[in-house]
Amino acid sequence: MSKQLTFLMCSPRGDKSASHTIGSYVVSLFEEKNIVVKTFEVYKTLRKQERIEEMIKSIDECDIILLSSPLYIDQAPYMTIKLMDIISETFKQSKIQNKTRHLFAISNAGFLEYYHNNLALKIYEQFAIQNELIWAGGLPIGAAGTYATYPIPESLKMLAQLPEDDHRQEIYHKPTKILDSVIKTSVDHLSKGEIVPKDELQKLEFIPMPLEAYVEGGKKGWLEAAEELGTADKLRDKPYER
Amino acid sequence: MSYIILNGMSSDDEFIPKVNQIISEEFQQKDIRGDTIILHDKEIKPCLGCFKCWVQTPGICIIDDFGRETAKKMIQSDILVYLTPITYGGYSAELKKAVDRSLGLISPFFRVHENEIHHEMRYDKYPNLVVVGILDKPNPNQEEIFTTLVKRNVLNLFCPKYSTQVIYADDDEITIKKKIEESLREVGA
Ligand SMILES: Cc1cc2nc3c(=O)[nH]c(=O)nc-3n(C[C@H](O)[C@H](O)[C@H](O)COP(=O)(O)O)c2cc1C
Repeated sequence: MSKQLTFLMCSPRGDKSASHTIGSYVVSLFEEKNIVVKTFEVYKTLRKQERIEEMIKSIDECDIILLSSPLYIDQAPYMTIKLMDIISETFKQSKIQNKTRHLFAISNAGFLEYYHNNLALKIYEQFAIQNELIWAGGLPIGAAGTYATYPIPESLKMLAQLPEDDHRQEIYHKPTKILDSVIKTSVDHLSKGEIVPKDELQKLEFIPMPLEAYVEGGKKGWLEAAEELGTADKLRDKPYER
Repeated sequence: MSYIILNGMSSDDEFIPKVNQIISEEFQQKDIRGDTIILHDKEIKPCLGCFKCWVQTPGICIIDDFGRETAKKMIQSDILVYLTPITYGGYSAELKKAVDRSLGLISPFFRVHENEIHHEMRYDKYPNLVVVGILDKPNPNQEEIFTTLVKRNVLNLFCPKYSTQVIYADDDEITIKKKIEESLREVGA
C-alpha cells in the first residue's frame, strides 16, 4: 500500500505565504515518489468541526506529517499551537491508532538569520515527543519572504539566467540551490521512513548576505508599500503613547 | 506604576487562577495598580499576518476587537505579566493569540542589534516583562526552551528588565509567593 502524508499548512496568508509555497514544493516531490498527500489549510480547517475530523482521520492513517508554519514572535503562531493542542487531545483520548509516524517541520521566519527558527523547531520536537511521533527534523528558513512568491524550481530557472558576476548569484541563487538540495535529500530520507540526518539540515545554517544590506532592503520595501497607501509619513506613529 | 496580567490559561484550569490571585496580591501590597485579562473570556481573533498594523494603520491592528485593547494595555503598563501553562516548551495558544496581535507595538523597520536583525522601537518606553510558566512537574527540556523564548522575546520587544519563573502544580502557596516576589524584585517592583 502507498505511504500517506498529511500536509498541515499553517499560514493565514494562504497561497501568498512561504509556508504554502515551500510546503507545496516539498509535497510535489513526495507525490513524485507515489506518496499520497492530503493537504489541510489550518486556518480554514479549524473553523469547521467536519474538516477537523477529516484532518484527524488523515493523521490517523498517515506515515508522515509535514507541518509548514510561519514564525510569529519567536515561536509558532496562535493557530499552529491550537492545532497542536487539538491533535494532542486526540492522541490523549486514544482516538489515533498506534503506528510509526514521522513529523517533519518547516519554520518560516521574516528575519534573515535561519536561527530565529530554532526555538519554534524545538517546540515542534516537544510536540512530537509528547505524542509519540518520531521527530524527523525541520528546515529553518530565514528571509522566508524570498520564497513566498515563486516555487523553488521556477526561482532557480529565473536565477540561472543571471550573469555569473551578478551579486544576486551569491545572495539568492546559491541559497536557493542549497535549500533545493536539502529539500530533495530530506524527501528521499523521509519517503524511506528515515529521519533527516542533522548534518543535512545544518547545510541551511548560513547567512547569505550582510545584515545591513537586509536591513536596508527591508526599509525600502516597507516604504514602497506605504507610499502606495499614502502612509509613508505615518509609519513611525505612536497611537498608544501615554 | 501599573501592571497588566495576560492570563493564558484554558477555561477548565483550576490551579492558574490561584497563581493569578497571588500575583495580583503581591502587586497590591506594593501599591501597584493594574488588571488581569483572562484571555479565554475575550473575543480576540487570530492575527492575519497582513502587516497592515505596520503599513496601513501604523501601530493599530486592522481587526477591531479586544486584541486592539490588549495591545494598548500592554504598551501602557509598566510591568507586563504573561501567565501561561508551558505548552510544548512555549506559550499557550490563548496567550499567543493576544501576543501575535501586538505586532504593531514595534516598528516595521529593521536594525542590527547585538549582531542580529531585530526591529526598531516604535515607542520610547516599553514595559518590563515577567513571564510565569506553569508545569505539572519539572521538565528540563521544556523549561530551557521556555526560558530561552522569554530572552528572545525581550530582544524583540525591548523590555528593559525581565524575569522568568516556572511554577509547578504541586508548589505550595509559600513557594509560589517566594517565586513571584523574586520576579517582581527582578523587574524593580
Ligand atoms: C505577528 C507576526 C510576528 C512575526 N514575528 C517574527 C519573528 O519573531 N521573527 C521573524 O524572523 N519573523 C517574524 N515575522 C515574519 C514572518 O515570520 C514572515 O513574514 C514569514 O514569511 C511568515 O511566513 P508565511 O509567509 O508562511 O506566512 C512575524 C510576522 C507576524 C505577522
